[in-house]
Amino acid sequence: MTSARFEPGDHVHVQAESKAGHVRTPDYVRGKTGWIEGVLGEFKNPELLAYGGIGLPEKPLYKVGFHQTDLWDGYVGSADDALYIDLYEHWLEPARKEI
Amino acid sequence: MTRIHDLGGSSGAGPIDKSQHEVEDWEHLADAVLVVLDKKGINTIDEHRRAIESLGPERYKKLGYYERWIAATELLLVEKGVFTSEEIDQKAAEFEESWG
Repeated sequence: MTSARFEPGDHVHVQAESKAGHVRTPDYVRGKTGWIEGVLGEFKNPELLAYGGIGLPEKPLYKVGFHQTDLWDGYVGSADDALYIDLYEHWLEPARKEI
Repeated sequence: MTRIHDLGGSSGAGPIDKSQHEVEDWEHLADAVLVVLDKKGINTIDEHRRAIESLGPERYKKLGYYERWIAATELLLVEKGVFTSEEIDQKAAEFEESWG
């Protein structure tokens, strides 16, 4: 059913550049590296829906995990703490570095 | 560049205010109107979020949560040609007058 480019366990890098207009990728994960925790399916693109478009083509959506210590400077919680967030495929690229 | 609504991790934001408050009638109405506009196919939740994000930093900071909803709903209704700003302002003035 899916044309998803990534599968669970893949390491991914989130685009660092900001993009004009409505996006669902918050600043705090941009430029960060995480891993695919799950493939959630394909959904209409909110970046197009937000301007009255029909939102096609649908975009694969992933549950992406990050180490909290990679997201926040001076994070004081456990090094095992993770943050999970839903991100669309067009924000992701294969990560080179091991995490 | 981060925009005003994208607050996660911004420095100096302080702790989250977790205090609760009763939802007021007008806040229920703000929600209900948005649901109806979505059901009628006039605008979508994605467009509404985009409209909230377009309010500009000054207004965004000044307005409360549902005040932002109402401001965004007005933006979209004008954008879609359902009402003009003048019609909305006139109606608001009529209400203010009748309610004192």
